[in-house]
Amino acid sequence: MGQRRRAGAVKTLSSERDSADVARICNRKHNICMVSDFFYPNMGGVESHIYQLSQCLIEKGHKVVIATHAYGRRRGVRYLTNGLKVYYLPLQVMYSQSTATTCVHSLPLLRCVFVREQITVVHAHSSFSSMAHDALFHAKTMGLNTVFTDHSLFGFADLSSVLTNKLLTITLCDTNHIVCVSYTSKENTVLRAVLNPEIVSVIPNAVDPTDFTPDPSQRPADRITIVVISRLVYRKGIDLLGGIIPELCLKHPDLHFLIGGEGPKRLVLEEVREKYQLHDRVRLLGALEHKDVRGVLVQGHIFLNTSLTEAFCMAIVEGASCGLQVVSTRVGGIPEVLPDDLITLCEPTVRSLCDGLEQVIAKQRSDSFPSPASIHNRVRNLYTWKNVAERTEKVYDKVVGEEVLPLAKRLRRLRSHCGPVAGSIFAFVAMLDFLFLLLLQWLLPDRFMDVAVDATGPHGLWRQKTSRKKFD
Amino acid sequence: MGADGAPSQSVPWRKVLWERQPFPDNYVDQRFLEELRRNEGIREYRYWAVVKEASLVGQQLSCVAIFITFWLYMEQGLLAPETLLWTSLVCGLLGYGLYQAFTSQTDSCSETRTHLADLQSAALFLSFTFGFSPVLKTLTESVSTDTVYAMSAVMLLAHLVSFPYGEPSPPGSLSLNAALFASVCLASRLPGALHTFAMLSCALLVFALWPCLLQRLRENSPLQFTGVCVGVCTGGVGGLASQSLGGAVLLSLAVVSVTFLCPLLLVWLQRHKDNIHGPWDEAEICEDLSHFLH
Amino acid sequence: MVLKIFFPQCCNRADSGLLVGRWIAGHDSAVVLAVIHYPFIPGQVKQYIQQMQAQSGVELSVLGSWSLPKEGQEGLESFLRDLSTIFPQERWLQISRQMGKTGFTCEVLSRDQTGGSARRSNEAEAKKESKDGGDGEEEAEEKVIFVHYEQRKVMLSQLHPIANENPENKSEPSTELREMFQTVAHSQPLFFLDKYDDGLLKSTHWQSEGREASIIVELMKQASVPLCIFISWLLSVWTWTCNIWIFSVFPLCFLSSILSTFIQLSYRTEHMRTLSSPKSAEGHTQFMRKANILVSVLVDVALGVFLMSWLYRDDHISMLADALVPAADHVAQQLEELLQWLMGAPAGLKMNRALDQVLGRFFLYHIHLWISYIHLMAPFIEGILWYGGLSACFGLTFALSLLSDMVALFTFHIYCFYVYGARLYCLKIYGLSSLWRLFRGKKWNVLRQRVDSCSYDLDQLFIGTLLLTILLFLLPTTALYYLVFTLLRLVIVLFQGILHLSVDFINSFPLFAAGLRVCRSYRLAEGVKFRVLCEEPGTALHLLMEINPLKFSSVVRTYRTPTYSCYPKDSWAALVKKLFIGELIYPWRHKTTKTD
Repeated sequence: MGQRRRAGAVKTLSSERDSADVARICNRKHNICMVSDFFYPNMGGVESHIYQLSQCLIEKGHKVVIATHAYGRRRGVRYLTNGLKVYYLPLQVMYSQSTATTCVHSLPLLRCVFVREQITVVHAHSSFSSMAHDALFHAKTMGLNTVFTDHSLFGFADLSSVLTNKLLTITLCDTNHIVCVSYTSKENTVLRAVLNPEIVSVIPNAVDPTDFTPDPSQRPADRITIVVISRLVYRKGIDLLGGIIPELCLKHPDLHFLIGGEGPKRLVLEEVREKYQLHDRVRLLGALEHKDVRGVLVQGHIFLNTSLTEAFCMAIVEGASCGLQVVSTRVGGIPEVLPDDLITLCEPTVRSLCDGLEQVIAKQRSDSFPSPASIHNRVRNLYTWKNVAERTEKVYDKVVGEEVLPLAKRLRRLRSHCGPVAGSIFAFVAMLDFLFLLLLQWLLPDRFMDVAVDATGPHGLWRQKTSRKKFD
Repeated sequence: MGADGAPSQSVPWRKVLWERQPFPDNYVDQRFLEELRRNEGIREYRYWAVVKEASLVGQQLSCVAIFITFWLYMEQGLLAPETLLWTSLVCGLLGYGLYQAFTSQTDSCSETRTHLADLQSAALFLSFTFGFSPVLKTLTESVSTDTVYAMSAVMLLAHLVSFPYGEPSPPGSLSLNAALFASVCLASRLPGALHTFAMLSCALLVFALWPCLLQRLRENSPLQFTGVCVGVCTGGVGGLASQSLGGAVLLSLAVVSVTFLCPLLLVWLQRHKDNIHGPWDEAEICEDLSHFLH
Repeated sequence: MVLKIFFPQCCNRADSGLLVGRWIAGHDSAVVLAVIHYPFIPGQVKQYIQQMQAQSGVELSVLGSWSLPKEGQEGLESFLRDLSTIFPQERWLQISRQMGKTGFTCEVLSRDQTGGSARRSNEAEAKKESKDGGDGEEEAEEKVIFVHYEQRKVMLSQLHPIANENPENKSEPSTELREMFQTVAHSQPLFFLDKYDDGLLKSTHWQSEGREASIIVELMKQASVPLCIFISWLLSVWTWTCNIWIFSVFPLCFLSSILSTFIQLSYRTEHMRTLSSPKSAEGHTQFMRKANILVSVLVDVALGVFLMSWLYRDDHISMLADALVPAADHVAQQLEELLQWLMGAPAGLKMNRALDQVLGRFFLYHIHLWISYIHLMAPFIEGILWYGGLSACFGLTFALSLLSDMVALFTFHIYCFYVYGARLYCLKIYGLSSLWRLFRGKKWNVLRQRVDSCSYDLDQLFIGTLLLTILLFLLPTTALYYLVFTLLRLVIVLFQGILHLSVDFINSFPLFAAGLRVCRSYRLAEGVKFRVLCEEPGTALHLLMEINPLKFSSVVRTYRTPTYSCYPKDSWAALVKKLFIGELIYPWRHKTTKTD
């Protein structure tokens, strides 16, 4: 209780001072804790987003730690590049790398991290991650400001999305700010979590342009190659791909497909390849490591994306950055990502995709496309991590000044915002969480907890070493 | 509606990410959520159409009741197994003729099953059932009657729940198997091997062949289909009434509620439907892509 | 830097003389092996050392001098110092002991100093002064530790260097120790120089006693050579016979791989081959292996003869034979009662009456067959036992293996019951599992190793369900029979397992090593421990090195003769799973699978 009051008092003080010296606050450094179930060694978009964003924030002088669950024998604290500290907390994994949630049991561990690292902003990622939801909930109990980044789109129709949306409504109802990766994703999140749209910012993902440079010499001259790189699952529209391949391969004998990725729908592609005898023209490369992606991309002329839903498609930006012509389905946030002359958008049907691809193939044959290098130069500066970090920093600056709701207000807000049934239940859980926190604080008061040595941030010990390395 | 520091420039906001726009990240434009659509492609239900579809459920309930009625008669010795056998045979032949008539009415070339195959299947059914009926008769001898009844009830319920009401033509594996299991259990309680054989043939007719015929009927002459459904329901209730009045009352209540009350509820609730659609929805693959594979 | 000097305890009171030993390179330590007493001729000493070096392969050298002044012997100092010029060394140790004191004093002279002394021999007094100063300096930077060791124990212990057996236990620091052990062990020839001999040189070191006993050993060694040759000839004849084609045709080959007597025979043959090889054992491991095998064979034969003497006394054999047939009858009768009980309503279980009757009668008929077979065999049983008992003269293990085989043969009917029950049960379980998949409209895809959904035809569904129902209702009956016969079978397997375990124990237990561990514990050393002997402020530190005997468990683990293991290879969970799905558990299979 005392802690929360103290935090509230500090907040009001600082908000009074806010107007006085904005410039000082802009230079304020934050202690940020990124929380998500998804982090390395797991691979994917969320994981690399967290990593890259953290690196850029460290560069800007903030202190960043990451909390995720233990992966196998990787548990405890690890340090990554530039002193990025990762806590692998021993929480039980339930389903597809997501931890089990009871809204209460992860409090001791997360409290330990937040207190030891003197966290000021908790930044949770991905609505699939129950650890992120837990962290938002506990952070509010402990009186911390929170930010949430949503990476995915959800429907409203089926039972699972109804439940997930309810959970999201509850955890986001007192979150200070939400970040979405595209305008479509913002609309979706605002609807799902019943939010005020003004506390939702749109900050797109980014791609490291130096990793994806074109190399036209790798393209075989006697053929046209279509590259597909995605996980081979239903949501990525692999069934559509299975329809496109025979259609186009029968029409264009010099057309080749290069497919990178792994997943349950690989069977579909294998069966198609078998049935139409396309073993020499359709190559399935299996799972690709991130460093190998560029080597595959530069071999192609056209990048095809058949996703059925996508918040922000990094793959098409990577493809365009390598100088490929991009053909994609018009779903989710994809139309917002690339300017019209760099992408050909189609409806998610075999017919429409084939038509779009045929247009692009015809243009490719007549050589009426700009050179890969010029495409790369256009795409290069569209999405950079530096930009993302700057915009996220602004969000943090704004959030830190805000007041954290005291318990009574929080309970009232939960009940008014999340419906009478779920709201009451979670108000009860919030109270339990708070009592549990009091118990923990009684058992081991915050002032007895050791403060961790900063690796990053203004007093980071790692910085000196790296700066010395830079001078060498 | 503008967020903090909305600029006064005349530059219109665009919903793109690749362009740096002079708006803050949390800017909310007039066009926010303009692509939101509600209740897209919703189906308007008409009451009587729903009742007609739901009559299939009532019909299946009554089929189960009819089967149970036959079994009750057999168990009490009111029905000789020979009579049931002959009736089944006649019904089966009649049904087969009707089925063939409907098939030739629609199209004959698409059907690949020959009469020989049908004959083979029939011979297989009969020989197997006949051969196994003495074994089946002794099967549940030492099991208590209550256990057998409970098992049969559960299995018949499973049959009703898992019955593919949408398209009953190839009967679903689980529903058919559950019904057959129940009928084997019940048949093994009968006094003689011939009784068992007759009961199983009857089960085959009611649970396996009748849905196929009914499907044909529904496709070809919807009017007769309704009539048949009404007939089966009456038959079921009437048959059960001759054995137990309470059962008949319960059955008729169930049939009425399933065919008339539930559709009413559906149509009423449909008005309150509120479904949100937008560009974030997962695209559905509407085409049939399996032809690329097979 | 600390200089360690390993000093044999037996030289503590030796007369003054030269220290002979070895510098251990890189470890800054010296091993003193013997003291050669005055008077001697330096040339002879050098010659002797070279001779010893050639014999033992150890870099022997004169380490320094040893002085234990007795009454009336004084003023040796300058003489001792001069010795260092005669035997030029990198470093020269000058160890002396006062009669009354326990501690030694040691002076270390490095080469240039000794060279200097040689040059200025005429200025002895002045040099002494300077040297003392120099020594003082050296002592300040170079401390000396005396480690006393018992030469005999260390020498013998090195012969069985357990340090070589499990090097992972002995990490880096022990290599010095190991070298020291090896040095002592290898310099055995040095110790043949007897102090009672009237040779040119007199020395002090460990003295072996009991020459007479070693003569007997020597004679036995000589005698064993023709014996070994004879045994190996016999063995070659035996193996030749075994390899005749008639033994490799199917039934005999199968039988010999199943019957434990044959397996024991092949093991024993291998053991005898190892023992009778005329080459002497190379290295400690080989020697221990041979010794272990020899001792266990001897013990085995002794036990076997003991058993035989009991069997053939007082006509125990015929008593056994008389008891055997009634016992078999009794077992059969018990089984019959069991079957009768099963054919009723056992334990109130409701079984399918018809199947119950069929199975019961089938098994009853089987028992009947078996009993008539036993009665047919009855007149011959005594003869079989009599001749079988003779096998005990080859060893107890043979008798036990034979017993195990006989048990297997006499309970063959139970084995048959078990196999029938298990097969029937297994069939039912497999049928039920696949029909259950059919019941749910699924099938097992063999190519992809998973359950796929599948649309069955009407007739397939109908017949499948019919069979499922039948199998389901008959399952309890089959399961009960299976359970009962499996339990019976498990009892027999347990008995046979105990027999096999005891045979395996006799075959593989390292009796010799265990005996060594009990009687001469220092011979199997695991490491050493040090005890402080005396620590006086002025003198060097004196430590006593004692040998740590090897732990008993690691003795067994290290020296266990590798044999087949008759322990179940499956884990308990796997065994239970096998039992549950009705897979056969062959206890004999484990032995045969060892070979491939």
